[in-house]
Amino acid sequence: MSTRSEVLKHLNLVGLLQPALHVPQHAPYPDAIDHSLYRAYLRSSHDVGGEPDVPIAWEEKQEEQWELNTFATCECLGWRGVWNAEERRRRQNVDLGQTQYLGLPYYGRWLLTAARILVDKQYVTLTELVNKIEEVKKRHEQKSAR
Amino acid sequence: MSKSQHDRTHHAKKATGKGDPQCFKGEAGPAKFKVGDRVRIRDLPDIFYTRCQVYTRGALGTVAAVVYESPAAEDEAWDNTDKPEWFYSVKFQQKDLWPDYPDLYANDTVETEFSERWLEKA
Repeated sequence: MSTRSEVLKHLNLVGLLQPALHVPQHAPYPDAIDHSLYRAYLRSSHDVGGEPDVPIAWEEKQEEQWELNTFATCECLGWRGVWNAEERRRRQNVDLGQTQYLGLPYYGRWLLTAARILVDKQYVTLTELVNKIEEVKKRHEQKSAR
Repeated sequence: MSKSQHDRTHHAKKATGKGDPQCFKGEAGPAKFKVGDRVRIRDLPDIFYTRCQVYTRGALGTVAAVVYESPAAEDEAWDNTDKPEWFYSVKFQQKDLWPDYPDLYANDTVETEFSERWLEKA
């Protein structure tokens, strides 16, 4: 797939991501937000207890290797004092925002958050991270082309 | 906080050989509530982060255990560990939490933990 067609597909997909309360106008005037709405928007996305929802099927899923690696990486960040468990939870359950909290797999959020804290606390720069991702992506493409 | 301003080993130094929350023992002062006390959960502003479930706000419960001293989640989530609080396990009747809870299960309870700031004497 070419870069342009990938970009256009991406634009169509993000158009489908909507906040739970869909209103036609984004960034409303301040007087359109009353106290109840303000509270609803600021809720911590992980605090879902008591929310009406439909039942979902219980599935026993075995952890994949990358998920175990992610867990170990995040624990190492804790042992080295980069974050504590509560800071990790805040970042992976709340700071991401509701759309990503509900939309990404559990360990996907862990992994994203591990990368984020290293940038936020200046252990790596975003430039270094982006270049590394690009480098690994290229290497992977060459491998799978063989 | 950038790494130059922050001692990232402070927690390891404190907790090594003791564990967490044991390393905060004796730092919260006298506990405000005791087992058996009736308490109401406060509805404090909960912007940015909290572990106090919204479904308990304003509800009446009973202190089932005084569990440990630790920084409240709202502080610890930014690595502020200077002001530990007492934590309490509070038991609620399910019927007090959910208006439609069936009478058939009137004895059902749920128990969950709160830091002291979330409780007031009922």
